[in-house]
Amino acid sequence: MTDSSDTIRGIKDLPSTHLLGTGTPMCAGCGALEALHVIYDILGSKTVFVNAAGCMTLLSVYPFTPFRGSWLYTAMASAPAGAQGIRDALDILLQQKRITQEEDLEVVVLTGDGAAYGMGLSATSGSMERMLDYIYICYDNEGYGNTGQQYSAATPHAARTSTSHGVSGFAGYKKNLFDIWVAHKPAYVATVIGADPLDLAKKIEKARSMEGPRMIIALSPCPTGWDYDPRETVNIGRLAVKTGVWPLKEYADGEVVHTKIPRQRAPVEEYLKLQGRFAHLFEPERNEVLLAEIQARVDAYWEKVEVAEK
Amino acid sequence: MYRIRFHGRGGQGMKTASRILGTAFFLEGYEVQDAPRYGAERRGAPIFAYVRADRAPINERGIIRHPDLVIVADDSLVPIPAAGVLAGITDHSLMLINSAEKEQVWKQRLNHSGSILTLPVAADVTERAELPYVGAACAGAAARLIGVISEAALEQAINDELSDLGADIVNKNLHNAVAAYRAMASHAGLVKEGSLVSAVDYEAPDWIDLPFDDARISAPTIHAAATSVLVKTGLWRTQRPVIDFDHCKGCWWICSSYCPDGAINVVDAKPVIDYDHCKGCMVCVAQCPSHAIEAIPEKQAKADEDAMRLEIGEIT
Repeated sequence: MTDSSDTIRGIKDLPSTHLLGTGTPMCAGCGALEALHVIYDILGSKTVFVNAAGCMTLLSVYPFTPFRGSWLYTAMASAPAGAQGIRDALDILLQQKRITQEEDLEVVVLTGDGAAYGMGLSATSGSMERMLDYIYICYDNEGYGNTGQQYSAATPHAARTSTSHGVSGFAGYKKNLFDIWVAHKPAYVATVIGADPLDLAKKIEKARSMEGPRMIIALSPCPTGWDYDPRETVNIGRLAVKTGVWPLKEYADGEVVHTKIPRQRAPVEEYLKLQGRFAHLFEPERNEVLLAEIQARVDAYWEKVEVAEK
Repeated sequence: MYRIRFHGRGGQGMKTASRILGTAFFLEGYEVQDAPRYGAERRGAPIFAYVRADRAPINERGIIRHPDLVIVADDSLVPIPAAGVLAGITDHSLMLINSAEKEQVWKQRLNHSGSILTLPVAADVTERAELPYVGAACAGAAARLIGVISEAALEQAINDELSDLGADIVNKNLHNAVAAYRAMASHAGLVKEGSLVSAVDYEAPDWIDLPFDDARISAPTIHAAATSVLVKTGLWRTQRPVIDFDHCKGCWWICSSYCPDGAINVVDAKPVIDYDHCKGCMVCVAQCPSHAIEAIPEKQAKADEDAMRLEIGEIT
């Protein structure tokens, strides 16, 4: 248990017992819970979670909670506003010396992609404008998972969702939330994934040491919404990184740095073919046009990164 | 009106079963409602789906409280109160349980004087990938028990509902549904239509008025930490991961970090799986680099455990 974690350098520094309670109603093999339990180990129990409606609000269903501290449930669009209220209240208590510096809490917003990429974006934008001192964690499972995986602004091109049927799947494109957040110049923005717990833990530890808005997007493989065997959660997450679909990067002090560059990128279809939501790209026959388009977009992204590096 | 309630776990295809049955009724000329109950869509969660069918327009809405037929796709749901399998069951209700145990055992266990049948098809599904086909078998069995749905209508309904999933999946579902349909031949038409409910006879329950309390009193507050551990999510498992300590390298961080539920902790430098909470996702089995974790069917694991407890005299 790492309520006061030491610096994480290698995998051996990851905690071996866990702070987040078991017995939550998340799906078996939940990629979001996998990221969250590592995040919670690093942040510790001196936190207050502000949770917009989504899968993770099922974490705390009265009288059960996996948290060791407080938790507030807000409507889908207003978690950052809830965080503002709590931060202000804590600041007033500190100022009036009704709590000590030791008793202060880290305010952590927890929302899915539906809230982060879509209906909660306005409140998030405002919180960054005001340089609210908080951590925002978006668990991104690329759709409205809790209600049966309808498409969201985070759904990738061509994925089948319960509202995007047909041979080509979702016609839109995944919104670039990382860049939208970076454009606000907050203290910190990072992408993470549970399949790389070391990169994740280092970034959360870094965020924890900073002040101001610290924004995290965790790609969260979802066995239920993405339609794959739950045992594949980590393999799919690892492939998202290895194929270049999910770049691991961070923004701080005006600069974006990739924390892991897949030098030998695996073909994107290795990632796609494990997931039922992309099965129509392979059966009854391969959709070469769409597969090539998806690959080309990933290639174009990394070409830009490589040019920028030189 | 026929009222059918499906109970299963997320991932077993209950929503699909209700759609197949609803469409089959429709093809036979019935007015139909079919709908899953809104709730968490996750795998393993108790899932409810409902079908109403009548020759006349249906004015009833909402969940089915007094079913004529109850289909239970997973017998481990029966003792779980939240699954509500036994809610509103009367002598009139027929229960069909997907179970390896005998009908007589269930009749005695549930003290149910109405009919209970067990579904012999797909009783031993241990591969998770096979789970969705249980739903099709349930729909097939239900169609025959109701007795007004022809095999052709059942097949047509499966084709209509599942065609976007590809020929392979349609065929597997057809195979299971038709096998279950035929297995129930001797019970065809056993389900009897329930009578219509009239609002005229409605009597309000004896409400107890509670005064409105201040939010500080009435809002749900939890004062203890991590109370979720009281929920035994280990009941969800169909397969159990078992660590072979002869092969475990004691790296500890891999299974422990990847377990989404944090159900693997390290005690004395050895990983220990908390079976009260392990949901059986098998991420640890897939990730262990020395292949020291094996997946065994939960039923077998339980039987082995009981045999061992019997041997050491813990149970008789």
